[in-house]
Amino acid sequence: MVKKEPINRRLKNYWEKFGKQWQLQSMAIPGVVYMIIFNFIPIYGLVIAFKNYTVIDSIGNADWVGWQNFEIVMKDRYFWQSVVNTLAISGLKLLFGFVLPIIIAIMIYELRAGVFKRVIQTISYLPHFLSWIILGGMLITWFSTTGMINQLLQMFGIVTQQNHMLDANKYWWIAALSDVWKEAGWGTILYLAVMSKIDPTYYEAAKMDGAGRLRQVWSITIPMMKSIISLNFILAVSGLFNSNLDQTLVLMNSQNQQKSEVINSYVYRLGLQQGDFSYATAVGLGVSIISVLLLVVTNLVTKKLNDNKSVL
Amino acid sequence: MEKATVKKMVASMCVAIVFVLLVSGCGGSSSKDSKEKTAKLPSLGKRYTLDKAEPAWKLDTKKETTKLTWYVNADWWNTEFGTDMITKKIKEDLNIDIEFIVGDDTKLNTYFAGGDMPDIVSIFDSNSTVARKANTWAYPLQDLADKYDPYFYDVASKDTLNWYKLSDNKTYGYPDYSNAAADYKSGDIYSRDAFIIRQDVYEAIGKPDMTTPEGFVKAMKLIKEKFPDLIPFGFNDFAKDGSSNGSMDGVIQDMLGVPYTDADGNYYDRNVDKDYLAWIKAFRQVHADGNISDDSFTDDGDKFKEKVSTGKYATMMIGSFVNQGIALQEFATNNPTEKYIAVDGIQSTEGNEATLTQAGISGWMINYISQQCSDPAKAIQIFTYLQSEEGQMLTNFGIEGETYTVASDGKVSYTADALKVQNENPEAWQKEYRIGEFIQFGHDKYKALSDDSYVEAVKQMQEWGTDKLEPQFATENIGPDAGSQEARALSAIQTNWSTTLVSMLRAKSDKEVEQLIAKYKKFEKENSIQAINKVRNEKIAENKKKLGIK
Repeated sequence: MVKKEPINRRLKNYWEKFGKQWQLQSMAIPGVVYMIIFNFIPIYGLVIAFKNYTVIDSIGNADWVGWQNFEIVMKDRYFWQSVVNTLAISGLKLLFGFVLPIIIAIMIYELRAGVFKRVIQTISYLPHFLSWIILGGMLITWFSTTGMINQLLQMFGIVTQQNHMLDANKYWWIAALSDVWKEAGWGTILYLAVMSKIDPTYYEAAKMDGAGRLRQVWSITIPMMKSIISLNFILAVSGLFNSNLDQTLVLMNSQNQQKSEVINSYVYRLGLQQGDFSYATAVGLGVSIISVLLLVVTNLVTKKLNDNKSVL
Repeated sequence: MEKATVKKMVASMCVAIVFVLLVSGCGGSSSKDSKEKTAKLPSLGKRYTLDKAEPAWKLDTKKETTKLTWYVNADWWNTEFGTDMITKKIKEDLNIDIEFIVGDDTKLNTYFAGGDMPDIVSIFDSNSTVARKANTWAYPLQDLADKYDPYFYDVASKDTLNWYKLSDNKTYGYPDYSNAAADYKSGDIYSRDAFIIRQDVYEAIGKPDMTTPEGFVKAMKLIKEKFPDLIPFGFNDFAKDGSSNGSMDGVIQDMLGVPYTDADGNYYDRNVDKDYLAWIKAFRQVHADGNISDDSFTDDGDKFKEKVSTGKYATMMIGSFVNQGIALQEFATNNPTEKYIAVDGIQSTEGNEATLTQAGISGWMINYISQQCSDPAKAIQIFTYLQSEEGQMLTNFGIEGETYTVASDGKVSYTADALKVQNENPEAWQKEYRIGEFIQFGHDKYKALSDDSYVEAVKQMQEWGTDKLEPQFATENIGPDAGSQEARALSAIQTNWSTTLVSMLRAKSDKEVEQLIAKYKKFEKENSIQAINKVRNEKIAENKKKLGIK
């Protein structure tokens, strides 16, 4: 057993140490305070998931209803429909949207520095800066009966005069691919930053050993990016339930709603538009819990892949 | 060492518990008190003695300017006060200074959660919890009028006050544009829905009969032949989330005179009405012929406006054409011979007359005086002032002699100077005059006093609708309460209806339409339509009681 120091002595030590670090602490404390005020205190509001809360009540005096809201959620087929849609759209986004930025980043990295590289980079970032309101309007026009997509299809001899946004079966693909198109370029930034840190002597050594371009990418670039790829993967998987609200609200219409309603838009519609706060909070809380579970599980899996080191 | 860890744990848990208690304490206390507080009105003292024949704002001797906050639940509300002609006059007359606050439902909720309410609150949804539980946070208008300003009863509509009474027999909110049955009869309010067609198209196709489904389908074909560049038939935009279906359900049903209640006075499911479905089949045929564009289902409000202002649609079932007034006027100004005109079309196959609707007795914006109002006497004076002839003329037309004149027949017209500003400098018109914008207590009957209240392009349409208006007060606000099981089920049904409607319009055959409607009826049954209709019927009965009809 370690000999215990008297408590006031320890406190004094603590404050001394604190005083020495005051520059660092003064930078950290505002962040901590911010977290407490905006991220932790609002957690208290989650109790309305167990209450029958209306605007007129305060959170404190609304009636407790126990698990009732959750029971209704479990039986609500629209909720389940929105879960299926969310997972399908997020799954497609993950499938294409996760790999594509890595490939693009490697391709950009392999380009010789110059005007062409910079132009390519800028063009690929561009859609990221347009909001979904603008982009969604563009998409709706493109997919309309006389829009770009139909004109292209007609050019290739595929005769069609339909409005693709009204076809529910196409919605998942439209949502996923348009999101990938919007964000893929932006997603390369992190990878490019990591790649720029790779020691060029590795490549030189590999070249000496006769490794070709692809071999270098496979054996040097990708292994060096392993931890950042894992980190991105964990974040992407834990965000599976968090599909894009802005996008959904813009692209949804009464014909594709069955396939386009995602959890977020469902919560938004019930909670904010119809004033059913307790119910919407119950849905939100349930989804958050599942998301945390996903985060933990993917972390365990990627740990295995990263020599038992967690990247979180 | 173990002991130390345990101690640490206990200590941190204590901190956590104290923290949670603190936080929950904050949230719970404030509005709990207000819930149990009964409205106790401060005494007038020696400020003025009540006079039934004189509005209290003329009697009030309060010297210092009263500062009031007025929350309007709309982002677009102009928050300036006292800088333009109209609010400057209000400021002088009432000796007040109003600070407007604007926001959306989230902000409104924050006010309630925080318990620190503005003096006056204007909201839009008369079926919301805020409105239905107004007795917990607002003063009853009757109490205020009795105590501070009995003249209020002279200017407020009795029907409207009655309509907004809560279960305690008191009225808490007062709306603008609330039309009583008398207003419908007066001819001062105009219809706003019509079947319209481009004049050049109408003449070119020989003014065919479009009142029957068969005639309608044929006419659309004819239009397609003669005007291949135009879309033969269009309608208002559908809401993205299925919460409204443009002009293709309610408005069409009104055109056909589909009843709102059945013979027993119970709720009538208009969407499955036979007459209506006969027309749905006609529209289906029009769509199958390629004469309705699929884009009409995905266009948003802006795109619709654009198509209206460029005359893209040959004919339109247009709902709320007043809201499209600028677009309609733009097209009419640029193409005087092609302007849209209302004609007879889309009529009942069963011989029913059209029963068009307008703003009902529930009105639009609803105004409340909160229980935390710093000077409730002044607040009710504002309500009285704005509803009185004086206030109405001011907010609708400005100041007599300066911006408008009244002819001997009572017709109001703007002065030459005012008209010049209106036509040449719309921005100054808005900023300096603010005519027709301060509308918390507006009413169409004052608009009717002037010929300049509506744009030229809609006047023929309004004329067409004369005598077609029919009040439907009994079925206003009969939706189930938010948060109830029925409300959730109804929302599901409405979403399903929206999908069903568009699918019917895009169906390949009439048989498919029948299958779709059968599926919809089944869906209704599965989603407790009976319980919903029970709520509706109860509310209809309540409404009738309030309105004094059997």
